[in-house]
Amino acid sequence: MDFPIFHIDFIGNRMLIAVDAILHVIINHALAVGALPVIALLELSGIRTKDPRWDRLAYRLLKIIFIITTTVGALTGVGIWFSASLINPAAIGSLIRVFFWGWFVEWIVFVSEVSLIMAYFLSWQSSARTPEAKLKHLRLGIFLAAFSWITMAIIVAILGFMMDPGNWMSERTLISGVLNPMYFPQLAFRTTLAMVMGGMTMICLTYLFTRNDLPFRTTVLRAISSWSGIWMLALIIASVWYYRVIPQHMLANIPVAVTTQEYVSWNSSLKWLLTIGLSFVGWVLWSSVRHPGQVHGAKYLASVLLLFAMLGQFERVREFIRKPFIIGNYMYANGIRVEDYPLLQRDGILQHATYAGIREVTADNKVAAGREVFEQTCTRCHTVNGINSIRGQLKTMYGDKPWQPEVIAAYIENMHGARYFMPPFPGNKAELDALSVYLASQQKRATAFNGAQTNGIPKPDKISASTVYGTLPNLANPHGEQQ
Amino acid sequence: MTAPIPRDIPLPLPAPEGLLEILLIAAFLVHILFVHLMIGGSMFSLVCQIRGLKIPDYEKLAYRIMQTVTVNKSLAVVMGVAPLLIINTLYAPQFYASSALIGDMWMAVIPLVTLAFLLAYAHKFWWNHFLNIPELHIGIAALETVLFLVIPLIFMTNVNLMLFPEYWPKVTGFFSAMLLPNVLLRYLHFVSATVLFSSLFFVWWAGRKTFRIEVQFSELRVIDVRRFFYAFAFGATIFQILTGLMVFVSLPAQGMSWGFTVLLMLGGLVVLPAIWWMWQNLTRPGHLLDDNFKQILTCFACAAIIMGIARHDYRENALADHKAAIAEKTINYQAAVKEAGEQAQLAAIKAKENDVAAPGATAFNQNCAACHHATLPTVGPALQEIKEAYANNPDGIAAWTKAPGKKRPDSMKMPGFPQLSDDELTAISQYILSH
Ligand code: HEC
Ligand code: HEC
Repeated sequence: MDFPIFHIDFIGNRMLIAVDAILHVIINHALAVGALPVIALLELSGIRTKDPRWDRLAYRLLKIIFIITTTVGALTGVGIWFSASLINPAAIGSLIRVFFWGWFVEWIVFVSEVSLIMAYFLSWQSSARTPEAKLKHLRLGIFLAAFSWITMAIIVAILGFMMDPGNWMSERTLISGVLNPMYFPQLAFRTTLAMVMGGMTMICLTYLFTRNDLPFRTTVLRAISSWSGIWMLALIIASVWYYRVIPQHMLANIPVAVTTQEYVSWNSSLKWLLTIGLSFVGWVLWSSVRHPGQVHGAKYLASVLLLFAMLGQFERVREFIRKPFIIGNYMYANGIRVEDYPLLQRDGILQHATYAGIREVTADNKVAAGREVFEQTCTRCHTVNGINSIRGQLKTMYGDKPWQPEVIAAYIENMHGARYFMPPFPGNKAELDALSVYLASQQKRATAFNGAQTNGIPKPDKISASTVYGTLPNLANPHGEQQ
Repeated sequence: MTAPIPRDIPLPLPAPEGLLEILLIAAFLVHILFVHLMIGGSMFSLVCQIRGLKIPDYEKLAYRIMQTVTVNKSLAVVMGVAPLLIINTLYAPQFYASSALIGDMWMAVIPLVTLAFLLAYAHKFWWNHFLNIPELHIGIAALETVLFLVIPLIFMTNVNLMLFPEYWPKVTGFFSAMLLPNVLLRYLHFVSATVLFSSLFFVWWAGRKTFRIEVQFSELRVIDVRRFFYAFAFGATIFQILTGLMVFVSLPAQGMSWGFTVLLMLGGLVVLPAIWWMWQNLTRPGHLLDDNFKQILTCFACAAIIMGIARHDYRENALADHKAAIAEKTINYQAAVKEAGEQAQLAAIKAKENDVAAPGATAFNQNCAACHHATLPTVGPALQEIKEAYANNPDGIAAWTKAPGKKRPDSMKMPGFPQLSDDELTAISQYILSH
């Protein structure tokens, strides 16, 4: 409403964030949080056994970690900011206001993390000169592992807050946001999952790198497998905890009946994935501890993929739970605050959207006005022709029968009741009609839908350019606020 | 003013505005320093590598320079996060708007930087793999440098656009924003600063005691290398002043003020002694490159700080009216939201009273209305149809709703509602039949 609407109609806005974020989370968990402790462990073993092969292996692994985390890893992290601020500026802007200092601390930790990984990696060769230097170097590695965990711990607080603002709704302080009820189960689950993921990823790479030295392979794989096995036990406990705490807490907050149902099916698929995933990975680790030379590389690879899938499912459930909000109970995924709804539904959203080009629906402008309403209320999640396209959705619902505006309107008016993931329609009756007419008009011939990055914004009109718009004296007039 | 006036995020700033502004200026200066070193390093490495085709020692130099890029590029990114965070906080309505208006190029920053970094790693980590194919190696270096040079142009376009809300309605896409007055001149000014700061850095860097051992030239003398950079630094300083003047002349009037002008002049004046010293060191026999080096650096550091403050001052001047208007509108809007909220609450209470007359209406609207319309078949059949099928049979409706079957071939399966109590189901069924 308060920002020009960026829109990519092909892959869709949500997909853009999702791809970037998933890539980032996988790299962060598997190659930073979970892998760095393994590197330090290998370096320590090298110092203890005085066998240079440990050190060489650790360095090779670290080189891969370094290259990926400081390029794709770091930039997908920044990319989450970029994409979120393009796609839902109201949400990211609000989160920043609340969590500024959290993010600031996060930034300081992040700077330390990057400095440490550069120091750790770039001084690896030169530290080999004296034993004291080597021990100092190892200490760098331990610090690095700790900092990358702290970075994650802070972000988890922010994610937990988005799911469920807990006391924040009444208290509005940073600390109440951090201490929300989701925090500890999530953190425990993520930490242990990351450790197992990191261990498994390192096992895979080690398997590859030691193919010409089988005795050494056996020793190393046993060491990393034992380390990961311990985390595996912790992961099982954390999964049970997470699985027991989160859903109950969330179910209590889901008012819509149908949601509960879909939730049950989601939840059971999560349960299955967790059960199968944990048993398989646990079994691979167990055999790998006992007979490290005999486990085939494909099993390790399958374990890594299963762990990625578990993480992916975990993120999806997290997303699911959050819907239809982007900040629990405070702001819907369309970027509109819950509090704003009565005003928008009374006056119409076009009256209040700064960058709208049409303010009032008339008999002649229904399609054009409907497009604007669609832009304001649906495009954060739907495209016209791309992923999760509204044409596709309507086609599934109504097929090739002529799409009737009245039928579509009847659906949209109540869609939040049946489709938990969608927020209620935030406009007035006339806008609902216009939207339905616009949607029905898309059956035969879809018009290309471009965002502000292509179309620009309309010339400011009286509503957009004035500050008195919406002032109290005008409120006596229920039909809009123009002077 | 014909600028659009959005509303601000209706949450308080996390810290006093002044503190955030100081943090912004400081964090931005640090960020931009590493950006200069990163881009300059990439450029100089390319230049040296090309010279290395004739004089092999320059190739060794190019390799050493790339080692600094590896570090500086990572610092440039992490140091950029803080100013980004603060800009997001202080200038949300402006910054998000300008970002959206050039959205595709803005988003492209992420893959472009990633690609540039990966190229830089390929360039450096595989140095020896390319010994026999220098063309390819130089090609990679050139592509990396070009990318490094394009990215600041996108940033420049965005931070320029956010300053001038009255231009927003004129902008359609990145290129129209890039061609707004001043962007390209500012960019030129930026690039010459890159050459200036990075070549100064390399003068110092090549003057370290360990440099000679690290680089192991066979013929080239370290002093020649340092002179090479020194000459660049001097030339870039002159160029920097000229482009600075052009930027000043072409700056839109919105942000001009005497304070800003004085700051700029001060920033320019501080550099003059540095120019004098550098000129002497370059041309006078008996002068060493290291003469007055600390003083020269201090001059440039002061100039950079003053320019950083001036830059912020211009932004604040340019946006002062817009910010005030936004604040006013936000307050007015919040008042309207509150009023409408209260109105809606009253209406809801009234509706509850009506509900007594029609029990089941609320439960129906909450659970069923999305799929069942009074007269139109929507997702499920219309109420009319249900009424006909279940006339005088409310229990049938209740039973179906608890555990629906599958009847109509061309519609989806209705979800069951086992969680509704029998009382609720009876009320809903009666409501449907009496509707
Ligand atoms: C929070 C994001 C979000 C918003 C905002 C949103 N939708 Fe949806 N919508 C979804 C998702 C997710 C689906 C389900 C996609 C799927 O499962 O295939 C969906 C499905 C639909 C469907 C098909 C529903 C069905 O029963 O099969 C329609 C029609 C629809 N949306 C219309 C709209 C309209 C019109 C708007 C704007 C007023 C809107 N949506 C806003 C997320 C959203
Ligand atoms: C998600 C959409 C949806 C919701 C919500 C929904 N229904 Fe249905 N309903 C359907 C569909 C689809 C059918 C047609 C099913 C079929 O023919 O297989 C249907 C059919 C029916 C029928 C007719 C059954 C018959 O014998 O033909 C009744 C009665 C009914 N629904 C009652 C309800 C009640 C009561 C509620 C609220 C508690 C409700 N529905 C909520 C989608 C829905």
